[in-house]
Amino acid sequence: MVRWQHGLWLFFLPSFGLLAVVLLWPLGYAVYLSFFDYYLGSGERTFVGLANYIDLLTEARLWNSMWTTIIIAFGSVALEFLVGFALALALYRLNGSAKVFSVLLFLPHIVTPVVAALFLKWMLASNWGFIDATLLTFNIEPADWLGSPVWAKVSVILADAWVFTPLVMMVLYAALQGLDTSLLEAAQIDGASSWNTLRHVIIPALIPAIIFVISIRLMDVFRFFDLIYVLTGGGPGTATETITMYTYQLGFRMLEVGKASALGVITLIVVAILLLTINRGLNKAYRGGDR
Amino acid sequence: MSAQMRVGQQRTTWLIFIGLCLFTFINLTPLIWAVLTSLKDPRDAFTIPPTIIFEPTLKYHIQVWTENDFVFYLMNSLIISAGTVFISVPAGSLAAYALSRIPRRSAGPILSALFTIRMFPHMLLAIPFFVMGTFLNMIDTYPLLILALVAINQPFTIWLMHGFFLEIPRDLDEAAAIDGCSNWQAFRIVILPLARPGMTVAALFSLLLSYNEFLFALVLTGTDTKTLPVAIASFGGEDISSWSLSAAGAVGIMLPIVLVMLILQRHLVRGLTAGAVKG
Repeated sequence: MVRWQHGLWLFFLPSFGLLAVVLLWPLGYAVYLSFFDYYLGSGERTFVGLANYIDLLTEARLWNSMWTTIIIAFGSVALEFLVGFALALALYRLNGSAKVFSVLLFLPHIVTPVVAALFLKWMLASNWGFIDATLLTFNIEPADWLGSPVWAKVSVILADAWVFTPLVMMVLYAALQGLDTSLLEAAQIDGASSWNTLRHVIIPALIPAIIFVISIRLMDVFRFFDLIYVLTGGGPGTATETITMYTYQLGFRMLEVGKASALGVITLIVVAILLLTINRGLNKAYRGGDR
Repeated sequence: MSAQMRVGQQRTTWLIFIGLCLFTFINLTPLIWAVLTSLKDPRDAFTIPPTIIFEPTLKYHIQVWTENDFVFYLMNSLIISAGTVFISVPAGSLAAYALSRIPRRSAGPILSALFTIRMFPHMLLAIPFFVMGTFLNMIDTYPLLILALVAINQPFTIWLMHGFFLEIPRDLDEAAAIDGCSNWQAFRIVILPLARPGMTVAALFSLLLSYNEFLFALVLTGTDTKTLPVAIASFGGEDISSWSLSAAGAVGIMLPIVLVMLILQRHLVRGLTAGAVKG
């Protein structure tokens, strides 16, 4: 068997070679760029050390975008989790006809994100959009869904939830199907109410799946771009400008690639800290809570 | 269980069923509305109240694919997606196979490292790709976008294929080794045929991911290599007067995906948790 294992590393070569060239090298280069004042338009670059980072961290626009990101991230992930979990439980309960529902409910997630965003934009468009046209029928004055700072945030959260709730639902539904049914039967025989079964049997058993799905959703919200780009472009003003949108503006509109790289690195650090905290927090809540 | 309880349970099941029907319908409204709009003439598209009774026309579906450059964008999308799949899936499968055959304590860290890569903001990758692409004069060429898509696709492919390879018993490789096969022969002759269904799934998911990708396509392509998502975003984003036309385009882009999804149904959860579709 030892002879056999020998040379297996050769199988890694193409893939890891690729990853080194197209992933690690560019990432390293981005970190390197973050120490330069580099305007791509003129091609001039000067080493400035940590100045990009200091600039960014003392800037109101960065904190505004950070705050916006946090509101949108927590708003949409909370909504997705609650609705997704409820749907997963409903599907689990139905069993037989669940298949048709799961496919239909899944559609918004699998559609090209840009296309999904357009679908929503045509719902929310003022006056002729489906929502406004419906409200106007009943003589209700509609709000400016994408044009007022508060409603734009709400719309973006709902849009994110529309696209990503199916993912949460599917992961939790799969986890539910993997549950040990004898536990559920035991709870039923003991006469536990559905609520108690949910709280003391189902949720504890699902904790790994819950941590997993919340973590990947938070990671994705922090870097998700397509929906906001199409729906609001970060506006009105900077009302829905997330960190990702701001990085895009810096890097590809203003061509300040050094500063944009620094912002990318900051985002990475924020996401890493957030995930560590969440994993630890949820794990602790789970171990300490249910005794 | 008492009869009374059973009746109660049945009633709850019905309530859940009706609730789900309602929710599904409301949830699909944006999609239905877009499909309806794509079949409407402007006089039906711009009405208050919104109408569902109208004479449907396929005019705009035909127009968007014949009078605009959408066929060209579709070709770009297909070339780029196919290129990504042909690089990413073979390389990823080889690595995944090796991962599934080395001891777990060595495979674990590699797998979690790959999973961590998911965390990287794509922006942090798009910037260096853009800068290097500018240097190398490769902006608006197929290879640049394909390489970028391989970068975000590779960890996903390895994760997905790793799961498939784990399901193929190790005894098979060992038997092959005893018969005198080299690693490569064992892989090619014994394992690969068994892994083909898994590779098909990985290829379809990768195809979907590349077809749907927007950020890299937006910043790395130009007039020569523009993909469908970039085209529809600029086309349907602003002007509401050509509403039916953009709706027809958007619905057209969606159709092949629905088809792929129906094929992939059984594997959806696995693919999604590995990070398909939205990168």
